[in-house]
Amino acid sequence: MRDYVIRRILGMIPLILIVMIVSFAIFSMVPNPFAALIENPRIKRSDIDRLIKAWGFDLPWYMRFFRWFGGVIRGDWGPSLLYPGSSARDVIALALPVTVRLMGIEFLVALAIGLPIGILSAIKQYSMTDYVVTVVSFMGMSMPTFWFGLLLMMLFSVVLKRPSGMPLLPPGGILTPGLEEASFWVKFLDRAQYLVMPVIVLAFSSIGSWARYMRSSMLEVIRQDYIRTARAKGVPERSVINKHALRNAMIPIVTLIALSVPAIVGGASITETIFNIPGMGKLIIAAETKADYPTAMVGLMLISILVIVFNLLADIVYAWIDPRIKYS
Amino acid sequence: MDNREVLVDIKNLRTFFYTEDGVVPAVDGIDLTIHQGEVVGLVGESGCGKSVTALSIMRLIPDPPGKIVGGEIFFHGEDLLKKSNEEMRLIRGDKISMIFQEPMTSLNPVYTIGDQISEAITLHQKINAVEAKKRTIEMLHLVGIPEPERRYSQYPHEMSGGMRQRVMIAMALSCNPDLLISDEATTALDVTIQAQILDLMRGLQKKLGMAILIITHNLAVVAEMADTINIAYAGKIVESATAREIFKSPRHPYTYGLLQSIPKFTEKRTSEPLPAIEGMVPSPYHMPKGCSFNPRCPFATEKCREEEPELVELAPGHMVRCFHPIES
Amino acid sequence: MAEEMVEITKKRQKKSSEDYTYVGMVFHRLTRHKLAMAGAAMLIVILLFVFVGPLIWRADPNAQIEGIEGMFNAPSKAHPLGTDDYGRDVLARMFFGGRISLFIGFVSAISSTMIGAIVGLVAGYYGGWVDNLLMRFTDAMLSMPTFPLLIALSSVIGKGVSQIILVIIVFGWMQDARLVRGMALSLKEQEYVEAARAIGASANRIMWRHLFPNTLAVLIVSTTIGIGSAIIYEASISFLGFGVQAPFASWGNMLQNAQQFIWKAPRLIIYPGLAIFMTVLGFNFFGDGLRDAIDPKLKL
Repeated sequence: MRDYVIRRILGMIPLILIVMIVSFAIFSMVPNPFAALIENPRIKRSDIDRLIKAWGFDLPWYMRFFRWFGGVIRGDWGPSLLYPGSSARDVIALALPVTVRLMGIEFLVALAIGLPIGILSAIKQYSMTDYVVTVVSFMGMSMPTFWFGLLLMMLFSVVLKRPSGMPLLPPGGILTPGLEEASFWVKFLDRAQYLVMPVIVLAFSSIGSWARYMRSSMLEVIRQDYIRTARAKGVPERSVINKHALRNAMIPIVTLIALSVPAIVGGASITETIFNIPGMGKLIIAAETKADYPTAMVGLMLISILVIVFNLLADIVYAWIDPRIKYS
Repeated sequence: MDNREVLVDIKNLRTFFYTEDGVVPAVDGIDLTIHQGEVVGLVGESGCGKSVTALSIMRLIPDPPGKIVGGEIFFHGEDLLKKSNEEMRLIRGDKISMIFQEPMTSLNPVYTIGDQISEAITLHQKINAVEAKKRTIEMLHLVGIPEPERRYSQYPHEMSGGMRQRVMIAMALSCNPDLLISDEATTALDVTIQAQILDLMRGLQKKLGMAILIITHNLAVVAEMADTINIAYAGKIVESATAREIFKSPRHPYTYGLLQSIPKFTEKRTSEPLPAIEGMVPSPYHMPKGCSFNPRCPFATEKCREEEPELVELAPGHMVRCFHPIES
Repeated sequence: MAEEMVEITKKRQKKSSEDYTYVGMVFHRLTRHKLAMAGAAMLIVILLFVFVGPLIWRADPNAQIEGIEGMFNAPSKAHPLGTDDYGRDVLARMFFGGRISLFIGFVSAISSTMIGAIVGLVAGYYGGWVDNLLMRFTDAMLSMPTFPLLIALSSVIGKGVSQIILVIIVFGWMQDARLVRGMALSLKEQEYVEAARAIGASANRIMWRHLFPNTLAVLIVSTTIGIGSAIIYEASISFLGFGVQAPFASWGNMLQNAQQFIWKAPRLIIYPGLAIFMTVLGFNFFGDGLRDAIDPKLKL
């Protein structure tokens, strides 16, 4: 097992390098990387020229890559071009907790609803329940998030109003301005209101996928011979499902859960844009379209490395919960 | 033999499967009697309804699509078909237990074999975990598994097929059942292992005294073990007699055909091909009119094609369903 | 010689009749799959709407009605779905936007499946370092967050239908490559492939004549579901402003444009969104049914 992990970790290095080169190559094609600065009237042209030289934009992209890579090895990811004065790492560090809060809640909500209804759907295959779960799951998976987000916004912020005339739920943002210094519970309740719509939007689509995965995994297990054996020895139906079937059906699901964790950090560009949430997804899109490649690279590398690491973790978890798997 | 008390009495059992392509009368009026401590063979080609009969006794017919639509299954004088699901569950694994064809897939891969046997014991007997473990190890020893203490904490994938079938037998016998149903339990095993398992079952039957219903397509399997043999064809019993009678003087043309198709090593080798029964088992969707064997029967007459024969007692204890039984 | 020909013809006939029964069987199962049929019905409605609709309702999608009176008209006889912020006929824009969305969906899904199939076949058939190299690259592509890179690439290569298709293909082939590679690995061990190799069939021939046809059913399912997600991708890219550009309509950019009028004309949000939703749902239902009909155990 130890040798296996070491071998896998060594195998990650070329993977991460490929990811870096491909992402960097895409950004290096941006025709004018200093567009954001040129747009800013407060920055002098000569300063920009100095920056171009200092950051090597007069060099071909692969030379620039080596420079950037040299910095990365020393822990220096470069300055943010979108937010002059801050380093790219600091800009990402600000967006990270916002996204983790949103996506973490969404992830837990989706699992808490998706997995049970998937199980229910499987053990009652071809029943009315199964059809309803299946249809609703597919609707969630097919719903364009931006459309659903706008619909919810129309409902909760335009149609439904509070007695005071304010929208029932705030249409965007993460915290009511002025409450930054408020007590924990006041802030907690305020934040919760901002989270309702984005969480519903994101969870609806992932509930569907989780329910489908869980259902098919459970169906696969339920028709196995050992389930019949359990019934033949008089195991109550509850335990047949909860003990014998679920334990087996969860093996692929736990792996999938491990593989999905990096998405918590990646954020959701569209939903964050609609609800004006300053998270990773929105920031990365803004950084790359405004040619702030250092910031975009920090974000992309963070996500990609997490994906690669969690791939390994998923395999380790798999070996841990399935006694048949042994790595050597 | 008949002075022994009747343990199981199946009367006109009918189990149908309602599929999208039509109704399959998998079991269409099977009658079967098992006395206490008796070894009964149920023999037929695949699709003749023998496994469905076994699952009907256990009340483990997957519903949907299957349903027991008629008949009675008396066990200790009580009709199992009238029992509640909970009453039936308490009988399964305790008074009636079953072993299956596929030892490789019949054990739950994520629990140790010790856990799986102990579970059967604690489900039906009021004993604590320590006693259950002791009893499990005794059972493993009884079925001839070496080093039972070590094997107790092994997973199914660490054992060979023969060993797993021994585990299945240990599990099935752990609560001293009155009836053990063996559904093609040796079919998937190598010939030598097959013989060992049959030996083991015979030895255990003598020692523990339970009745065994052996379901097989292979007459040779029941030849040495069974006291009585029932031959099933297309969901019905076509002949029933003591093993000796069946082999000595088969009366139904189907039984005769089955016996003819067994190679005999005592005979002089000839270049003659082994006689086989012509034709195929009729499709369950298109049962022939009259006797279901008539399209394949060399003796079929107009009457066989029109009317369905009844099961008649031709000699004491020798029942045959045929208008033109072979003379003994 | 003549006898041989007869034999070969017989074999051909046998093979084609077997093919027919396989296709027939899949079709039979498909017609019994309620969701698949619901999906097919939805897709037929959408296709009729998009392709037959403009023949019945002949309005110019880009014609603008000048002046304030032409803007944000409610549905009427003159404009069944009303007009938008430029006074353009929304129904006509829905037709043409749908054509573009569907075109992008079909072309990018089919192309990325084909590229995935080629990569997977080559990797699976040759094995060794070729496989290693291709699969490492595939893994790397899979570990990158698709959507941000989709946006990055479209901001680089420009905004237009063919660019969007290209972008979706670049990030859309990996799953199919893995799938086909796995199938090729097991297929190439089978006797008939061994036999083909023994009689000296070229690598190309084995890949395309012997391995590829066996992956086709799975690829069709994957493409069907892929069309749905490609349409979502197109809409998402257009929604962020990097997709199909005005004055050309796509369901995605109609939605993006409508977003700013959420208070004024909410119906402008309803129509394109509903059309995207229905189309994607239709492809998902149908794809799921197709998978069940081909092989319920298939992991896709």
